[in-house]
Amino acid sequence: MKKTYLKYVKRSFAFTLMCLSTLGYSQDERKLGPVSRSYVISQATIVQGPGRKIEKGTVLIKDGLIAAVGPNLTIPPDAIQIKGDSLFVYAGFIDGLSRAGVSRPKDDITKEKAKDPGNPTPERAGITPQNDVRNFLNPVDKSVEELRSLGFTAAHVVPHGGMLPGCGSVIFLGGNSADEMVLVSKSSLYSELVIADRVYPNTVIGVMAKWRELYRQASLTKTYESTYASNRTGIDRPTTDRVLEAFYPVIDKRLPVLFRADKALDLQRVLSLQKDLGFSLIAVNVKEGWDVIPKIKSSGAKVFLSLELPEEKKEEKKDDKPSESPFTDSLEHKALEKRRLDFVALHAGQAAAFQKAGVPFGFSTISSKTKDIHSSLRRMIRSGLTEDQALAALTTNPASLLGLSDRLGSIDTGKVANLVISRKPFFDEKSKVQYVFVDGIMYKIESKENEKAAEKKTDKP
Amino acid sequence: MKRILYSILLTVVTLEATAQVEHGSVLIKGGTLLTITKGTLENTDLLIRDGKIIQIGKNIAPPQGVKVVDATGMYVMPGIIDAHSHAGLDAINEATSPVTAEVFTGDAINPFQVELYRALGGGVTTIHAMHGSANAIGGQCETIKLRYGVKDPDGLRMEGAPRTIKFALGENPTRVHGGGNNIVPRTRMGVEFVIREAFSKAKEYMEAWDRYNKSKGQKGFRGAPPVYDLRLETLADVLKGNIIVHCHSYRADEIFMLLKVCQDFGVKKVVLQHVNEGFKVAPELAKFGAMASVFADWWAYKFEVYYSTAYNAAILTKNGVTTSINSDDGELMRHLYHEAAKTQKYGALSDDEALSLITLNPAKQLGIDGRVGSLEIGKEADVAIFKGHPLSTYTIPMITIVDGIIRFDREKDPDDMRIYIDPNLPLEETTAADTHTNDVENCLQNAEEAFNYMFDHN
Repeated sequence: MKKTYLKYVKRSFAFTLMCLSTLGYSQDERKLGPVSRSYVISQATIVQGPGRKIEKGTVLIKDGLIAAVGPNLTIPPDAIQIKGDSLFVYAGFIDGLSRAGVSRPKDDITKEKAKDPGNPTPERAGITPQNDVRNFLNPVDKSVEELRSLGFTAAHVVPHGGMLPGCGSVIFLGGNSADEMVLVSKSSLYSELVIADRVYPNTVIGVMAKWRELYRQASLTKTYESTYASNRTGIDRPTTDRVLEAFYPVIDKRLPVLFRADKALDLQRVLSLQKDLGFSLIAVNVKEGWDVIPKIKSSGAKVFLSLELPEEKKEEKKDDKPSESPFTDSLEHKALEKRRLDFVALHAGQAAAFQKAGVPFGFSTISSKTKDIHSSLRRMIRSGLTEDQALAALTTNPASLLGLSDRLGSIDTGKVANLVISRKPFFDEKSKVQYVFVDGIMYKIESKENEKAAEKKTDKP
Repeated sequence: MKRILYSILLTVVTLEATAQVEHGSVLIKGGTLLTITKGTLENTDLLIRDGKIIQIGKNIAPPQGVKVVDATGMYVMPGIIDAHSHAGLDAINEATSPVTAEVFTGDAINPFQVELYRALGGGVTTIHAMHGSANAIGGQCETIKLRYGVKDPDGLRMEGAPRTIKFALGENPTRVHGGGNNIVPRTRMGVEFVIREAFSKAKEYMEAWDRYNKSKGQKGFRGAPPVYDLRLETLADVLKGNIIVHCHSYRADEIFMLLKVCQDFGVKKVVLQHVNEGFKVAPELAKFGAMASVFADWWAYKFEVYYSTAYNAAILTKNGVTTSINSDDGELMRHLYHEAAKTQKYGALSDDEALSLITLNPAKQLGIDGRVGSLEIGKEADVAIFKGHPLSTYTIPMITIVDGIIRFDREKDPDDMRIYIDPNLPLEETTAADTHTNDVENCLQNAEEAFNYMFDHN
């Protein structure tokens, strides 16, 4: 009795302390929301979509949506105004594959040595398709801000894990809570040809076999479950299976498989799985797809190309003197370097090759360094992609590939107010993103040059 | 009747899959033809049309648009077939379980490995790209043609070739699983148990599905299907005779053990691999109808491989066992003709017998002897042309043709034959060797963690 009482006192004391601290915190540091949810960007060059430009136009944003766009608009008195002379406005970019804002699961079960490596638990084997990326979203993670400051406003994010990490979601790169970020929950079943650590499947052949087995098992249990559901009397109750159930919407083609396929052979293997099993496929982060285009075309798969490109010049370490070994001076070295550069060019020209073949594509950033993304886009443009095509791959294409064209991808009345505003045309070398709107909320992108310019531009009503 | 059905089936499969396979036409003039099945034909022409041998004879006039190769003074033989290789694969051993029948090396074909081109440079045209020997029952293997230059892995598959699977006896599975993970098998008895248990489960599985499929058709049946299991599904196909077993083995006692196990379960298509003590049980192998794929003279790289002889191939051959000589190695693969020639020093095999060891016999072991393995009208045009007799120490492979397409020509052999290049790889590493060479392509790749002896290759 006494003990319980003591516990109670302790608890209530702790509770009071907690309340006090939250109170103190909220009074001092609570972020103030914007005074208005209306914004207007006036006198700016507005690129509504690829090839749709308004020279001196105005975009009106109200309550998270684009309220109006055009050359001559009346500006409502409550709107926060951004004077847009010399600003360029684009629809917010959409990233096909990212882990921005996605935390790793805390308990890492892969560390200990398995007793029987041939029979690991599904979790240990990297088979967790029942996971939902929404359970791992952290809106204040630095990666969200990093990607947003490049102009990305929405991303298809996926959980961490092994060959079947879980379901992905399309999220806004902004918002205060996990649920607030989500635009489309469970938008894909995500998979990679990733092996399990020291347990089955420990090779790509194991992963492929396991994939086929799970899919076929799921097809059978799904059919039996519907037999059972139609009349539950007199037959065995099907046991539930979270792993197999995750495949059901895939089998029904209500959910695509988002399959990471960086290398040419990954892509080939993913396509052969799709051919065998017949699911809807979105191949993501493709880096070496130029030779596989005809196969992609005939498979009907959708594609997101990687924004990571190999370096044109090998960075030399500063300590090293320019090496003068017999090798670097040799004809062999020259020939090898020439072939290397040929392949660098193929990588940079991949987007143009897909464009030429008439395969619509978006981009993905999962393996790219943020600082390289803008220059990668410029390299693709130098290699034959037009600026409009690059813009389409960042906006209208991913919107349509992900089935979001009614809400994202262009600056049109009624669409979600996701915008990128830069001080020079976005694809110019020195262009800097200055503002990004995500779901109608304005984010100022902080950089030295932007700070100077911003002082002149924003006028509050 | 069965055979007719089978060939119809084969044609259908071939038609479906050959859509992307490139075929060529060549006239090879004036060479000495080592046909294997029809003797040696001097100063004879061989005409290839759309990937098939269509005519063999003297003074064949070159049809319009057909490339002519002058083979005067040279030797023309069927492309060499290697019944045991791990080249052209990105994964070899799923070494996590003693039974992994469900995995398939055909899922890991890597057409970019320069090793494949090097093998072409030694007259090889077809290889058996096998799973490794870490498991008592390993994965299914793929028969591939060395169409080097093709970028699609599907383009290397020998479409329509029978399915094969790798088994392994002795030290490798016992060390990986027993020694490495302290699970069965730890002994040779354990290996036998693992195989018998797997076959028994597969039998039950097969029967359960047969029962289900039978009752499914009955009116009002609403039962649950058996749990689908790709491993047992594959083993059931072995029991049904749809998959040829290729079993890594050394010792006579365990070879005999495997024959008994197969007999008990009605498995008839068996090829023993390595089989260094095969000479001790050659009559038993012949009686069973099992075939043997051996090294010419390679042994003593681990304890169970000490009792060996270079006469192995000859003894097996003379006892009526269909025998081949394999490489299991990227370097050996380039001179299998030398390996075959060793049987003339050790065992005095005739030219045809020796050459059969690397052509028609491995073709039989892979179930593709109706299509390749000899120079015959109607067969696929896989041809190797040598300067000097291929069984001579001084011979030089000159031209290798696959499906009528010249894939290797010594006169036109560029320095850099890589197909795909990783632009992030430092050039210094590029020159040393390509990333897939000898150190990784052995039988126990992906199983290294279990043990670290130096001579665990085979």
